Amino acid sequence: MKHRLLVLQMATPVLAILFGMLSASVIILAIGRNPLDVYAVMVRFNLTRTDSLFSILFKTTPLIFAGLAVALSFRVSLFNIGVEGQYYIGAFCAALVGFSMRGLPAVLHLPLALLAAAVGAMVWALLPIVLKLRRGAHEVITTIMMNYIASALLLYLINDVFRDPTQIGTPRVRTPLVAAAARVPSLGPLLAPLGLHGSDVEKLNLLLPVGIVIAVVLAYFLSRTRFGYEVRAVAFNPLAAEAAGIPNARVQFGMFMLSAGIAGLVGLNDILGFFGYLDIDFPKGLGFLGISVALLAKNNPLGVIPAALLFGFLDRGAAGVQFFARVPKEIIVILQALIILAIVVAYELLTRYVRIQRKREAELPVTAAPVAEATGR
Amino acid sequence: MEYVTSLFSVALLASAIRVTMPILLASLGAVHAERGGVVNIGLEGIMIMGTFFGAVGAYAFDAQFPFLAKTWPDLAPLAGVLAAIAAGLLFGLIHALVTITFRVDQIISGVALNLLAGGLARFLNILLFEKATQSPGVRGFTPIDIPLLRDLPALRPLVTGVSPIIITGVALVAVSQWVLRRTRFGLRLRAVGEYPLAADTLGVNVYRLRYAGVLLSGALAGMAGAYLAIEQAHLYFEGMTQGRGFIALAAMIFGNWWPVGALGASALFGYFDALSLRVVRLPVPYQFINVLPHIVTILVLAGFVRRARMPAADGVPYTKEEE
Repeated sequence: MKHRLLVLQMATPVLAILFGMLSASVIILAIGRNPLDVYAVMVRFNLTRTDSLFSILFKTTPLIFAGLAVALSFRVSLFNIGVEGQYYIGAFCAALVGFSMRGLPAVLHLPLALLAAAVGAMVWALLPIVLKLRRGAHEVITTIMMNYIASALLLYLINDVFRDPTQIGTPRVRTPLVAAAARVPSLGPLLAPLGLHGSDVEKLNLLLPVGIVIAVVLAYFLSRTRFGYEVRAVAFNPLAAEAAGIPNARVQFGMFMLSAGIAGLVGLNDILGFFGYLDIDFPKGLGFLGISVALLAKNNPLGVIPAALLFGFLDRGAAGVQFFARVPKEIIVILQALIILAIVVAYELLTRYVRIQRKREAELPVTAAPVAEATGR
Repeated sequence: MEYVTSLFSVALLASAIRVTMPILLASLGAVHAERGGVVNIGLEGIMIMGTFFGAVGAYAFDAQFPFLAKTWPDLAPLAGVLAAIAAGLLFGLIHALVTITFRVDQIISGVALNLLAGGLARFLNILLFEKATQSPGVRGFTPIDIPLLRDLPALRPLVTGVSPIIITGVALVAVSQWVLRRTRFGLRLRAVGEYPLAADTLGVNVYRLRYAGVLLSGALAGMAGAYLAIEQAHLYFEGMTQGRGFIALAAMIFGNWWPVGALGASALFGYFDALSLRVVRLPVPYQFINVLPHIVTILVLAGFVRRARMPAADGVPYTKEEE
């Protein structure tokens, strides 16, 4: 039984992804293209070019942070749909610290910028979580509203208040350049001795290993510390947790703040790692991709890494599909949404199957049960 | 207050009524879904599909049947509305399938539907019109003038040039209120949302009623989008819903899960929406005027949720005993 269970657990996400691809194929067929062709192009584009491989890693980095942020909130049964708005605000705070302070050494400036991003995002998340805990306001709606407000706020700040004066008169609307000391170091110098060169290699920055480290730390934190235990208790049975003396509201608040803090860092891969400024057209939608990543990873911090990789892979594939297979790249967005739907249904079905199996096993007559266990069934 | 021409001018109220409609229709849909016990966060996505298929349906009808469109000019927008309702029903069906039959978390299903709808809209738009963000213009319905009241000059902006959808929408509110309070279907729907186990033991088909509620919400949200595209903006452009699907949920909560309440709440949001379009001199930067409805939504949720009573089994998947 345990053996079969393990195989099923590994197979489920794969089957769900395949199902998602199948559903997307229907749409591709409907527009008169060959789905196999499209997928082949995507795989070839992604895996046979070195610039693709590094581009995938570059795109994966923010998704790790976004996935972790959403997963943390899901862990305490809260839906932080506001990751999108939180990373806008975080990106702005980091850019502000980056371009408004000059002459600071990198060892001070960069951590300060990162801190500003995290704190800014946490402040942005304060209103929804307080309203939820104090007034019972649905955090899904409040965080989504905060996303729209963040969008408007950013438009105002970038366009009207902090617009780079050297760019006035051009169609470029962005903040001033961030100080070099505040930029995230590139991984280029590390990879050069391995013979890897090129602009895509240099795009990769320190945030990727940092993200992986944070994921590992969170995994440890959630499974081995007392706070992690409280988190699990609150998730499984809030009433029992409360009765056991665990301060539910404080645990939820803490996790939500942690979630927001990590969310703030999502945009830094692009702002501090690549561009060096905050443009009005900076990458958006990473918050929603984070939700997809967290769902695929089943809210497990370690699982977020491969899940982010998959979505980074799909993201990169979008460019290839549009250019080479002549299918609009939005098919990838549709594919991603279908995959999430398939994944959550599949996970739910798996959970139910396991439950039924366990019930059946428990109903076996007493003499037969130990035999069943001993034979490893 | 010199910032706005007048806070209560008839013109502003007329504008407010028009702007309220999308929120109202979506909110009405939300009421039906949640009364049955299913949270439908995907209303925003369904509304987006409604705006797209509404505009495209009307445009396609005009292009494919020019003779019919000319003789009965209301057919093209009607085709758009029907297409939008169909799209809304389809998405509602997906949501119902995933949340009722497969019992996946309703919020997650809704979020996934929003992503799907957004991607699909953009995808189809590129495919059909080769521009990612905009469709060609479409005509609206022929406006109606309310017969007796139109002769009163003071009320003229309010009662002339009224869209038939506005009249339908208000009628639907009254009908829904009556259905939920007085018909067998409505009472059973509410029972299923409050205590599905009890309803089940009495022989009520919980699943079927929940499906009905969700499908209704899909159809109404689709209609909301169609109105937005056909009657208000006269085209489809990306992002035109601006979070109104979510504001509709807040209106439902503020309206205490009753259609009439949803009408009042939507009117409040619609008023601020209309206000934001008519600000003459700006005391605040213009970007913030756009998010006035969103700010009001947060204020409403902050102040009024505790007092409102949601259906007891709202958001909880139902499992029959034997399973």
